[in-house]
Order: sequence, then C-alpha cells, then structure tokens
Amino acid sequence: MRNQTSMRLIFELSRSGRGSTVLPPLDVPEQHVQDLLPPDSLADAPPPLPEVAEPDVVRHFTNLSTLNMAVDTHYYPLGSCTMKYNPKRNERLSSLPGFLHLHPYQDEETLQGLLQVLFELQQTLGEIAGLPAVTLQPAAGAHGELTALMIAAAYFRDLGQQRTKVLAPDSAHGTNPASARMAGFQTVTVKSTRAGFVDVDDLRAKLDDSVAVFMITNPNTLGLFDQQMSQIADWVHERGGLIYLDGANMNAILGIARPGDFGADMMHYNPHKTFSGPHGGGGPGAGPVCVRRHLGDYLPAPVVSRHGDRFTLEKLPPKSIGRVRSFFGNVGVLLRAYCYLCTHGPDGLRRVSENAVLNANYLLSRVKHFLPVPQGDRCMHEFVASASKLKKETGVTAMDLAKRLLDYGFHAPTVYFPLTVPEAVMVEPTETESKETLDAFAETLFRITGETAELLHEAPHSTLISRPDEVQAARKPVMRWTSE
Amino acid sequence: MSYLFNTPEDLQQMLEAIGVGSIDDLFACIPPSLRLDRPLQLPPAMGELELSRHMSALAASNRCAEDTICFLGGGSYDHFIPAVVDALASRGEFYTSYTPYQPEVSQGNLQAMFEYQTMVCQLTGMDVSNASLYDGGSAAVEAVLMCLSATRRDGNVVVPASVHPEYRQILETYLINLGTQLVTVPTDDGVVDPDALAAVVNDRTACVLIQHPNFFGCLEQVEAVGRIAHDAGALLVQAFDPISLGLLKRPGDLGADIAIAEGQSLGNPMIFGGPYLGIMACRDQFVRRLPGRIAGQTTDRRGRRCWVLTLQTREQHIRRDKATSNICTNQGLIAVRAAIYLSVLGPQGLRQTAEQCLQKARYAMQQIAASQRFEAAFAAPTFKEFVVRDTEDRVTQLLRDSCQHGILAGVPLGRWYPQWQDAFLVTVTEKRTRSEIDALAKVLADGGRAV
Repeated sequence: MRNQTSMRLIFELSRSGRGSTVLPPLDVPEQHVQDLLPPDSLADAPPPLPEVAEPDVVRHFTNLSTLNMAVDTHYYPLGSCTMKYNPKRNERLSSLPGFLHLHPYQDEETLQGLLQVLFELQQTLGEIAGLPAVTLQPAAGAHGELTALMIAAAYFRDLGQQRTKVLAPDSAHGTNPASARMAGFQTVTVKSTRAGFVDVDDLRAKLDDSVAVFMITNPNTLGLFDQQMSQIADWVHERGGLIYLDGANMNAILGIARPGDFGADMMHYNPHKTFSGPHGGGGPGAGPVCVRRHLGDYLPAPVVSRHGDRFTLEKLPPKSIGRVRSFFGNVGVLLRAYCYLCTHGPDGLRRVSENAVLNANYLLSRVKHFLPVPQGDRCMHEFVASASKLKKETGVTAMDLAKRLLDYGFHAPTVYFPLTVPEAVMVEPTETESKETLDAFAETLFRITGETAELLHEAPHSTLISRPDEVQAARKPVMRWTSE
Repeated sequence: MSYLFNTPEDLQQMLEAIGVGSIDDLFACIPPSLRLDRPLQLPPAMGELELSRHMSALAASNRCAEDTICFLGGGSYDHFIPAVVDALASRGEFYTSYTPYQPEVSQGNLQAMFEYQTMVCQLTGMDVSNASLYDGGSAAVEAVLMCLSATRRDGNVVVPASVHPEYRQILETYLINLGTQLVTVPTDDGVVDPDALAAVVNDRTACVLIQHPNFFGCLEQVEAVGRIAHDAGALLVQAFDPISLGLLKRPGDLGADIAIAEGQSLGNPMIFGGPYLGIMACRDQFVRRLPGRIAGQTTDRRGRRCWVLTLQTREQHIRRDKATSNICTNQGLIAVRAAIYLSVLGPQGLRQTAEQCLQKARYAMQQIAASQRFEAAFAAPTFKEFVVRDTEDRVTQLLRDSCQHGILAGVPLGRWYPQWQDAFLVTVTEKRTRSEIDALAKVLADGGRAV
C-alpha cells in the first residue's frame, strides 16, 4: 500500500520546464536587468533547483513525513530529550497573525502585546529557576550554556581574575565541554562515584583558583538528584567560582526545588523539552538563560523591561557580553513555552513534575527485574538501565534492544549515554503517557530480552529499511544528490 | 491538567508497584533544605478558551505586516510564503519528531535533510552543506571559527562595516574569549574599497567575511576581495541573500570558501526574529570542520539506498571538548520549510521572485528620490534594499509618522552607524504592489503627514 515513489528524491521527479508560477505579473515599469546591475554580477542561469509541479511537492513531502516516528504517532521515551505531548493549542496561538508577521525592527510602540508576553516569560522563568535575571536570546540549550560561560568569562575579566578552567562531570552532556572550549576555557572532567554522583574528592582535588565554573546537571543524566549539591556549591563559591546548572532535566523539579535555591548561579532551560515546544525533527529549540542578579548586567541584549504599563527593549548595557544571536531569539518557541506555562500555573507545573517522576519510577520498578539499573531503585524523571549483563550472557547489546523496540512500534530510548554506564539504555517516560502505555512498553522490553540474539542482531525487521551501513556513510561521504 | 493520564486508581497501583506510600516519598532524595517551601508565585492556570482569548488580545494589540505595509528588512523579510509550506511543515510527523538518532524510523526527516543540503549546494554552487544552524548570525560566527581552525591562524578576522551589524556584534562577543581581533573596514561609500581591505589583511588573518548584497543592499566586489584574502593565505566567507541567487552569481562561482546565509526568506514568517535558519555550505576540503548535523547517503543490510546522520565524529556527543562546535539542537523544521519552498519555486520561480524584488526596489528608489528631500545614500548598485538619506535629518520622526499612517517605511541606520543618523534602509520584496510603493513615496514626500 505504500507509495513506491515516496523514496525517490525530489530531484529524481524533476522534469525540465515543469513548475508552478507563483507571482502575479510585474506591476511596475520593467527595466532591463543588465541596466540595473553590473553584467558581471549576474548568473547565466538560475540555480539548478528541482523543477516539479505543486502536487508533486505535496505528495512527496507528505509521504516523507509518514516515514518518521513522532510524538504524535508513537511512544517516544528518548532519555534526556523529554519527548512529551506538544499541545495543539500552542501551535495555533503562537501562529496568530499578530505574532507571526512582526518584523524584528518594528518600533516598540507597535509591539506591546508581544513584549508583554516576553516580559512575563522572563519573570516566570526567573521565578521557576530562583534566578531573577533572564535572557531569552539563546537559540538552543547548548547555545544557552555557551552564553552563560561567556557571561562568566566577562564577569571574571571584570574582577581582574585569570580563570582558565571549567569543570564538568564525566556524566555530563557532550555540549558542556564543547561549549566550555568555545568560550575559551579548558575543560577538566570530574569523576562520578559508582553510585552516580559527583566524586567530591576528585572535585576538591581539581578545584582551585583557576576554576571559573563548575557545570552540573541536577537531576543528573542518570536521573538522580545529587544531594551533595549545596555542599558542592559552597566549595566552588569559597574558591570564587560559579555554578552552572544544565537545565535539561528541569522536568523533574518544577515547583519542587529551584536551582537558585540549591546553589546554582546560572542555568539554561530547554523550552522544547520542559515546556513542550515540539522538537521539529531536530529543532528549532530555545535556550533561555537565568542568572543571579549580580550577573544580570552581563546578559546579552536585548532584554525586555517594564516601565509602568509600557514594555521596552533594552539595548546593550555597558557590561553586556553583547549579542549571541541576530534579532531577539527563537520567539516562536518562546511563545509556545509561554502558552504552556499559562496553561499550567503553579499547581499544574508541580503536577507535571510529580507525574513525570511517578511515571519514571513506575517504569523503573517494572524494568529493573529484567534489565538492571545499576544506580538504584529510585529515580527522578528518567533512569538508566544497562544491557551489560545481557551482552555478556547472550551477546545482545543496548543497540539491539533499541532496534527491536522499533519493530514493536516504540521509539527507542537513548542508548550509550551517559558514557559512565556501559550499554546504557536511558528511558524518560514523561508525564504525558498512560500507565497502559508504560505497561505495554515494559512488557515488550521484557519479551525482547527473551528473544534470540540472531533475531535481535538483525532488528529491526518490520521497518521500511534495515540497519544502515554507517561506516560506509562516513568513509565515503555522499552528502548531496548529483545528476549522473 | 488535560495532558496528564494518571487516575487516582492508577496512582495507587503505581505507588504500590514502586513500594512507596505517596508521591512526596519519591522526592525524598531532595533534602528538605533544598526544596521550595511555597507554591511558585505565578498566575493561576488558564483553560484553552481563556488562553485563546488572552493570546488573541495580545496578538491583536501589536501592529504587524498584515495590517500595515512593510518595507522593513535588514535580514528579516516579508516575502510571500506559498500555502504548501505551512500545510506540509505542520504535519505532526515532521514537527513532533526529534533528531534522527534511529534512522530506520526517521527516513522522512533524513531524506528531507539530504534534499535540503542538496538544494543549498545547488543554490550556492558550493560542494557540501550541513543540515542547518540557528540563524544567519550564528552561521557567520561558526564559519569564522571554522576558518580559525582551518588556517591555524588566530590573529585577526577582517570584516567590512557593510556586513550586518548584528553579525559583527556576535563575532565580537565570541572572539573576545578566543583572543582574536575583529578588524572592521569602513564602508563610507556603502561598499568596501578592496584597497582599504587589502591594507589590513595580513599573514595573521584567518578570513575575510563579506556580505553580498551587503547590509545596505549594495553589491560588493566579492571576487576582488576573495583574491586579496587568498593571496594572504586567508579564507573568504560570503554571507548571501538566498533570494538574490535567482539573479546573482553564486558564492561558489565568486570564490567563497564558505557561504553562509540567513535562510528566513525561504518560506519562513518574520515572527520577530525567529526561529530562523542558519545556512552554511563549504568546499569539500573543509567538510570535516563543518559544525552541525549532516545527513549522508548509504545502504541498508539489503542494499537499499537510505540516509543516516554522518561524520558524527565531528560532533559534541562524540568528541566533547574536541568537537567542531557545541551545536546539538538545530533548526530541522525550518530547513524542511526551506526545502519545500525551494521545491515549489524551482529555478524559474526563484528567478522571478528575485527579478520582482529588484524591479520593485528600483522603482521605489526612483519614486522616493523624486522628492527633493530624499536621495540615495550610495552610488553602488543595489538588489532589494537601499539606503535613503533624509536631507532634513528627521528620520526618527518621519518613520514614526509613516507608521501612524500604516506604513513601516524603513529601518533607521543611526542605531548602528552614528554617522548616518539621517539615513534609513528601505526594503521592497515581491509582495509589495505598485500602489503600496506609491503610497510609501507619497507619505515620505509629505513628511509622514498623509497618504
């Protein structure tokens, strides 16, 4: 029943001379292009884009879309990514013409409704974080990390302190060390204990006056809340350093604990995770950053301010690090986050985290009997199981489990992250799933662990394609179509 | 609460299975002293109907390009978006999926990425494209970082003042931490003088970043600038306007090593600055230094053609602090929109769009300059935008009055260029009609007083 042309590339559908006319005839006096622009600046022909009819385009991309698993179609327990339901109302309300067609250089007087939304969003994010100064400019979580580290660099430059290092645990997201390097710091990795927490002896051994920032994810990437948090913050602060909180896991603690209260000086949010912005097949996201008041002077501009009942865009204050992105930021994503926050209110947000943690612990209680969870019986919003024992006994890997789940109509969990757990299977159920779904997932995973290794090594069997040859793809990369 | 599932009965069963008495027990791992001991101070929850009223009222209190006539540009443009783009990109299978970590169930996104990359190569004349960056500004800075590592030079980066001022601000923000100097070359005539540029390019220069057409809409001498850069062993990065390539020579044909752009023009609404699309393409030799995701072609175990994320050893989740960039989340959906847009337009549609921008912009400039009060600020040829000088030097008032009459007439340059308080940038896309342009010329000629 599948449309067999759907796997053809759009370039392979192209026929010379085919295409649609988009525009009405020119209604101003036409002048010779050669008289308007220097002839040597002009191309001989327009770019060789595909020539297809509009119905072709519709059928092609519609069919392509059906080749994806998505939150709208499948359970998607991808650890660390918080693949929760993306409310339809947020799509509609963020796309109202009065938002969609605003130019970023319009006069503030014509933007009061939008600026009110952005101002209230800044306030709300600051309250949830316990860190009052907020920038909405960063375009993604990693961009937020980088922004915060550049704020730290500017702050220490101002203090006349030469601090060259950023510390991050070995369980951290790869973006942490990568962001640190882009901000001009050297990254030093801090070990984790067997229980999955920061190894404080290792931390204290590496903590000196050259450390600018300790980056911590809490709850961490194992889905555990590190109780040593305030002690760690005290040690870092005593040496004059700052604590950065990677906010990827905020879905566990909304209204329950605030990073600013447990020691963080700076953090980012991932609104596309925590506040239900859709992930868009890889983006767009956003990465708002919240900091303590004394770091607020360093935030990138513009920031929205309120003066009586008027809202204004503050241009670069003297200490600001400048800009990290053109224009204001990913406003469309921020509008969705605002709608989500309005929908929930204080009680609703707390219930989001309670149910995210309940669902994760319930699933953990079912899974741990057949797939060990090395770091304990409890978790926050996600947990990391290990297929290590299974691999030793049967040769079945975390990857095999992930691939076989696809056959049963579940998106795979995150595998092989965090790096500290061998054969890691990182499951984040989210709060927008039913007990029935969690039961079905656990039962399926259990059933898979009893299947033969031969079957699993070759999985998936029912998807459109089997496992792609990634080695070939990297060895002789083909990254574009060319006409033979 | 409408997104939650658990009934009181579910809750009891789940707590029992876990072996705790209450949800609070699940949070026992957070020491009480670290917990919030009060409710968040936020407004109460709104139902969907209330929220709809609230958002509609806020949206309606803005003035947008739908209820005004928009001549604003400077990197964000009111181009026409065919209905097909929204219809296809709003499919849940596209927008509620994530990065294609499981290629077997992500072939739709991967193939769309591969098609996007191919179209960017066709558009730019470059060898290889990534699957998107955040926006034009972040693409500019990532391109410069690539040049620092490719040339092993970190002394300086040379940028004409005619490059988007916000791109230059972003570069400053990033480069200060890396110890690299940003050298800005003045562009008093609206374009960079290659001789002036040559005087500051040296053997410590990693690259020259040029924008063509530039921030003022003027065409630069890209090939001459490229020769200067290359003679000094530096690289050439060109920022381009995707729509302009319906008419103009492509960055790859002008000698650029890396081509970057703000891709908003390709089927995306202005929405106050984002989400937009950072386009980046380069020559083959730099492919392993490219930041961001890349889709590549391969075969599955049965020999069928398929697509995967490739060259992942460049990326942060593998290489951590040695990665080419920290980027993880990109602008996947916006790239899909761009691919749909370019498919609908095709080569002829793109040319037609570019030509109408050019013709209408030129007509607008002639109509505006018919008034004694205004003149074109620069002699250099322009594409879809141009700088107007107000000889009465009352730009702020003029633009505000025009807005009162429903015309967003231009972007004042004084906020970035203190020497040009008397100038503003006017942009004309294919969407503007002759009568709208005539209305602009009239409201400006009347000093913003009447239409």
